[in-house]
Amino acid sequence: MIAIIELGHLALIIAAALSFAQALLPILSLSGKAQIARILQTSCMGLVFFSFGALVHAFISSDFSVALVAQHSHSLKPLIYKISGSWGNHEGSLLLWIVILVLFGGIFAQTSKALPARFVTLTLSVQGTVTLGFLAFSLLTSNPFERLVDPPLDGRGLNPVLQDVGLALHPPMLYLGYVGLSLAFSLAVAGLIDGRVDKAWGRWTRPWVLAAWSALTIGIALGSWWAYYELGWGGWWFWDPVENASLMPWLAATALMHSVLVVEKRGQLRSWTILLAILSFSLSLVGTFIVRSGLLTSVHSFASDPSRGVFILGILLFAIGIPLLLFAWRGPQLAQSSDAALASRDTALVVNNMILVVATAIVLIGTFYPLGLELVSGARITVGPPYFDATFNPVMALALIGMVIGPVLMWRGGSLPKARQTLIIAGISAIIVIVLSVMLITDISAAGIAGIGLLGWLAFGMAADMQRQLKFHQPTQLSKRLTTLGLPIWGVWLGHLGMAVFLAGALGDGIARSEATIRAMPGDVITLQDRQYRFEAIENNLGPNYQTVTARLALETLDGSDIAILKPEKRFYPAEGQTTTEAAIRPTLSGDDYAVLGDGDATQGYTLRLYHKPLISWIWGGAGLMAVGGIFALAGRSRRKLVS
Amino acid sequence: MSTDKPRDSRSRLVFLIPIIAFIGFAAIAGAALLGTLSGTRNSDQLPSVLIGKSAPDLPITPLSEDMAKPLEAFQGQPVLINFMASWCAPCRAELPALALLSEEVAVIAVAYKDKHQDTATFLETYGNPYQAVWMDYDGAVGRSYGLYGVPETYLIDGNGKIILRHAGPVFRDVIDTIIRPALAKLSEAE
Repeated sequence: MIAIIELGHLALIIAAALSFAQALLPILSLSGKAQIARILQTSCMGLVFFSFGALVHAFISSDFSVALVAQHSHSLKPLIYKISGSWGNHEGSLLLWIVILVLFGGIFAQTSKALPARFVTLTLSVQGTVTLGFLAFSLLTSNPFERLVDPPLDGRGLNPVLQDVGLALHPPMLYLGYVGLSLAFSLAVAGLIDGRVDKAWGRWTRPWVLAAWSALTIGIALGSWWAYYELGWGGWWFWDPVENASLMPWLAATALMHSVLVVEKRGQLRSWTILLAILSFSLSLVGTFIVRSGLLTSVHSFASDPSRGVFILGILLFAIGIPLLLFAWRGPQLAQSSDAALASRDTALVVNNMILVVATAIVLIGTFYPLGLELVSGARITVGPPYFDATFNPVMALALIGMVIGPVLMWRGGSLPKARQTLIIAGISAIIVIVLSVMLITDISAAGIAGIGLLGWLAFGMAADMQRQLKFHQPTQLSKRLTTLGLPIWGVWLGHLGMAVFLAGALGDGIARSEATIRAMPGDVITLQDRQYRFEAIENNLGPNYQTVTARLALETLDGSDIAILKPEKRFYPAEGQTTTEAAIRPTLSGDDYAVLGDGDATQGYTLRLYHKPLISWIWGGAGLMAVGGIFALAGRSRRKLVS
Repeated sequence: MSTDKPRDSRSRLVFLIPIIAFIGFAAIAGAALLGTLSGTRNSDQLPSVLIGKSAPDLPITPLSEDMAKPLEAFQGQPVLINFMASWCAPCRAELPALALLSEEVAVIAVAYKDKHQDTATFLETYGNPYQAVWMDYDGAVGRSYGLYGVPETYLIDGNGKIILRHAGPVFRDVIDTIIRPALAKLSEAE
């Protein structure tokens, strides 16, 4: 009997052959090509799924004859981390990349029955080309199915930092976003070749952008949340190259999500939208390149190998270079002058796009400037938060101001009734909030004041807009208005509200955070603003595959009544020979209490780091709301399609 | 599409911008990758106009009272000035090597554009190999040294003159191939 793992390997090779056929389909003169493309894409999806399943099976059954399992798994690991271990490494995560690539291709193949056949064939051909590139990359340089002649008795284990629920879910969500953008890319390239980019193209493309954008938002938020509680550093964003690699496609996709709306509603901004679609997926590829090539210094430097970088650079040149050449050639035919007035939603969305593209460029420059500088002068440096705080934040502040203005303007020109009232309310609220913050908060920085003013503007501006449309003061007809408004406007509200919630979280942590780092002995009491930590004891425990040193901290109010027990710990993983720090976090809506156990022993005392982080969970809650907004917009779209 | 208008050749050129920008990016990435593969991309040592000149003054604010040794306190012996920051990942990575080095030569930190509490927390968490830590809040001292970024390390001789500049993290190989030879040359000269 042939082992399942070998069948998985074989399935991947056949999938590559099918993708090759799928890529070449448009140049063959066959009838019913769209149907053949659909069958090829769907079979390819099934084969890759099977292949991935075979790999997961090898991890679950601890088959150490597979090199990847021997290197990254261990028989004593809990089941969930055996499963997540299959994508917690370079080869496996690349296969997951391909899984999502064919998933999006497959769903498109099955849902595109109403689209023109020629266009479907072209789109699937582009998608097949990208799939082929990555299948070749996997099979030629990073084969997850390599076997060992002499299997070890047990595996080497998974990096303990990666043995975590947040990180088990982070890559699949992130990839859904990253790779989901591939379909918008394929649709854009097909549109360029076909010369057909119109309102219908916008209508076909927008759901894919919304789906990918929502998944990307959640994926990035999960990564940030993981860094917050697992790295024990208390921060939630580090401007690390790998984080920037996911932020760049997100910014570009945010711009795309707005511009494709202009294409759908007005048939304008066509060449620009095509460029953004190419750019968004290109930035996903660039992100993969950064992470996998080890070119940039990053705290995430797992699974990097320069020789693989050469292959990815090759894919990059092909997959970005050719579409951009095509764009230079065909793009001008799509260009047109706008017929919209200056004060119109069209113009507002153009401004939105310009801001987001500038923000993307800022992150791109901050990420690659050190590399460029190194080539010119040989200096190796880090561009850290000071650069991004000074450049990225002010630019995004402009985008946030626009979030109140855009939705109250109308297509082509003019504004919705009572729009001026909304803006006046937002403006006055911003001023009141600024004055209050200066009066009430001591030691507040200018950036903090600006941030709070912005929050006031956004929150009250949106509340006024919702009041204008929902008329909360006439509750009798509220439910009727709620149902007639439709899901798309809720998409806008939730998405923008998510941004306001996110901003509140970032400001709460940035302005009002309190922290203390001290060396303490069991029995000590440490005061942190309006609460105190009673260091009760040090305990030694055993986990499923690790040993711990745990500090028992009683969190109390200043008069000594109990709030909670926090147990920060250090874990030692014998299989991997590594130690991790597990922060103890008490998350509440109003703020997190966060304790970390550092080095120490019974004679010298133990280092404790204690934080109170107001509103910090709003950061991820806000990101979640944004994603829900995206899903509402998506649902609103498909429902309307059903109705018509 | 009645609004479509044929474009003149100048605006056609606009559509070439993306591909040109991309070629530039690919050239940089490709050159860097080739350098990494061939092993030549390792020139962390760069000339400084300051070499042979007196080291500029350090910042005036120390991290704490016991980390407040001025540069003059090290007169007559070599000293390393290490520009670092809590927000910089390579700075975190070089701490173990600096701890090793601190047994042979005094190391002073200048925390570049960092917050006081962040630097304190950083050193408390990852270990403090420094004899003195000075806070360069606005980066003015970094500018007077002609800093490219962090981490960056300067070797100062017993007379307060800059001998060497190293950009990028100080790892074990840097100690062996660059810093120890320079220290040996200094002690020979005495």
